[in-house]
Amino acid sequence: MGVRTESLLFLFFRRMRVPLVVLISAYAIATVGFTLMPGVDDQGNPWRMSLFEAFYVVSYTGSTIGFGEVPYDFTPAQRMWTMVSIYLTVIAWLFSIGSIISLMQDPVFGNALRRARQSRGVRAMNRPFYLVCGYGDTGRILVRALSARGHPVVVVEKQREKIETLEVEDLGAAVTSFGMDAQTPDNLVEAGLRNRWCVGVIAVTGSDKINLKIAISAKLLNHSVVVHARADSTSATANMRSFDTDYVVNPVEEYIRRMELAITRPDVFRLYNWISSGPGARLVPPREVPAGNWIVCGFSQVGRAVAELLEQQGMTVTVIDPNPEGPGRPAGTVAGRGTQAKTLTEAGVESAVGIVAATSDDADNLSILITARDLNPELFLATLENGYSTHALFRAAEPDFVGQPSQVIAGYMLCRVSSSLVEPFLSEILERDNGFARDLLAKLLRHQSDSSPEFTAGRISARRAPAIARAIEAGVEVPISTLLRDPGQRDRKLPLEAVLLRRDDGDILCPGDDTALELGDRILLAGCTGTGRGVRAALENDRILEYLLTGEERRSGWVWGQRHPDSAADA
Amino acid sequence: MNMGKVVFGFFVLLALTLNFGFFLGDIDNPDHHNVYELFAALVVGLIATVLKFGERSHMGAVLLASSLVVDLQLIAAAIVWAVAVHMTDHGLTPMVMASIVSLSGGALLANLLSVVLLTLETAGLSR
Repeated sequence: MGVRTESLLFLFFRRMRVPLVVLISAYAIATVGFTLMPGVDDQGNPWRMSLFEAFYVVSYTGSTIGFGEVPYDFTPAQRMWTMVSIYLTVIAWLFSIGSIISLMQDPVFGNALRRARQSRGVRAMNRPFYLVCGYGDTGRILVRALSARGHPVVVVEKQREKIETLEVEDLGAAVTSFGMDAQTPDNLVEAGLRNRWCVGVIAVTGSDKINLKIAISAKLLNHSVVVHARADSTSATANMRSFDTDYVVNPVEEYIRRMELAITRPDVFRLYNWISSGPGARLVPPREVPAGNWIVCGFSQVGRAVAELLEQQGMTVTVIDPNPEGPGRPAGTVAGRGTQAKTLTEAGVESAVGIVAATSDDADNLSILITARDLNPELFLATLENGYSTHALFRAAEPDFVGQPSQVIAGYMLCRVSSSLVEPFLSEILERDNGFARDLLAKLLRHQSDSSPEFTAGRISARRAPAIARAIEAGVEVPISTLLRDPGQRDRKLPLEAVLLRRDDGDILCPGDDTALELGDRILLAGCTGTGRGVRAALENDRILEYLLTGEERRSGWVWGQRHPDSAADA
Repeated sequence: MNMGKVVFGFFVLLALTLNFGFFLGDIDNPDHHNVYELFAALVVGLIATVLKFGERSHMGAVLLASSLVVDLQLIAAAIVWAVAVHMTDHGLTPMVMASIVSLSGGALLANLLSVVLLTLETAGLSR
């Protein structure tokens, strides 16, 4: 279990035992000594201090205040003892204070103190929050985006230096960071896994094994939590899916999926890529992936999958790999890394239509792109961007298709985190043809051109949408368009589109605006950042809903609301 | 043999014996009760308290609690003594003395409990 404040107090006292005993002994010796020293009073009679007076003198000399010699001037014997007691008590104090300071500076104690404070913070959490395990490139993107949406985030990362900057960073919501190993279930519990406000666990550490452990712990210890996990290998992906991890992202799988979409249905690709590439994702300009001869540099996991995909799509593929005899390399593989013009020419770059730079080294990938473009400016350039540190260089190189694992993973998770309806929406989209995606894209582009759409989901129920529920119960038809009108001016439309309507009898993709809402419907809206909140007024307020429906403004609620005696009187 | 245990047992026992020594005698007779003995009992009691700090066992907690009771009672006795002797003109009247000694009697009980608990723990260990 976590470190409790109480045990910290015990730790403190246990470490302070010796200094305190020394301090008490020094005071006792000094006090008794004063009562034994012969003195004289102001009349010259022999006089000795009582314990009370002695303790008084020791108290002010020990704390180096020093009022002088009270109540009577000291005799030489008393002065001698004063010196002894000063050195005794001052040294005892220095020793105690030194011990306290060294205890405070002790990293073990400091960590325990910080951890106790953070655990307290997590326990006191009273808003839905996300637990992000692993603070690499992916974790950073996720934490920034989630906190920008106003969700508190708890970060668990083993390497303390990675999260040090988190404490000083200016983020939109409270971010608590724990420097501990996410593999241990107890640590996850301490980070708030069982807290009732914990809505999602996101496992994005660099290791499949650890992600797997986190996913299992999360699923077992908190049934209601939604688990997102990254899995690099196919076996880990299958393993995680086998125990119902809600969302498993395999960056290679995702890269191949997008590439396939780009080849077969470019507009579906543009829509999908726009939605699931994280905040600030731009819509890629339409560019058809040409058919013909392709060059794949690097026969890594990604390179192999890309080569397979391209061949499936009927293209001819030439592979460039430093190890042409290695397992699985197709016949005719050119030896080399592809960074040199000679190798590329050998692979037939002049007659090729596209190149995929999929080596595990980003500098090599960049070099391949630039060299290949020099040799054949018409090439379609696709690349894999392994790390995030060279992102600016990749942007400057302007390839036609980039796969950045951390961004792909973060984007995949971020769009699905906002509602459980996003996943069915996206899978429906992936089933549809190019024309459908083009139309939806055009609809969404009416409202926004730069940033990707934000999702808002809502349920039409007496609790979540009381005004609409009352209206429907009273027999009024409420079309979806009502929700999309501006509550301030009903003939203006909010920059939102209804993209999915979920009913008991199935999902409706892009329901028409005149579709009547029914009780129990769940609806997914996509649109500009922040506008989703505007819909709430129509859901909750009778007067606003009536205005949106009829255009008439009344001073009171629904006339049909039989449950409202005051409004009935008004009618 | 554990030196730490010896020191601990020594202070707990010494606190009891000093306290008993001060308590012994007519309750209202100042001649029977030496103020130095009260002082020594208080100091040893404080040290015993500090030694009990940080014991997380249940027994350790009860020992610490009884020790805190001892300190509280003896400090109260010392304050009564200081007030009577230095802040009033009456000095150590039998009534004041009786209240000092009865306060130390309460401390004696708590000290006794400490020793009994310690003995029980030791007996439990050897079984």
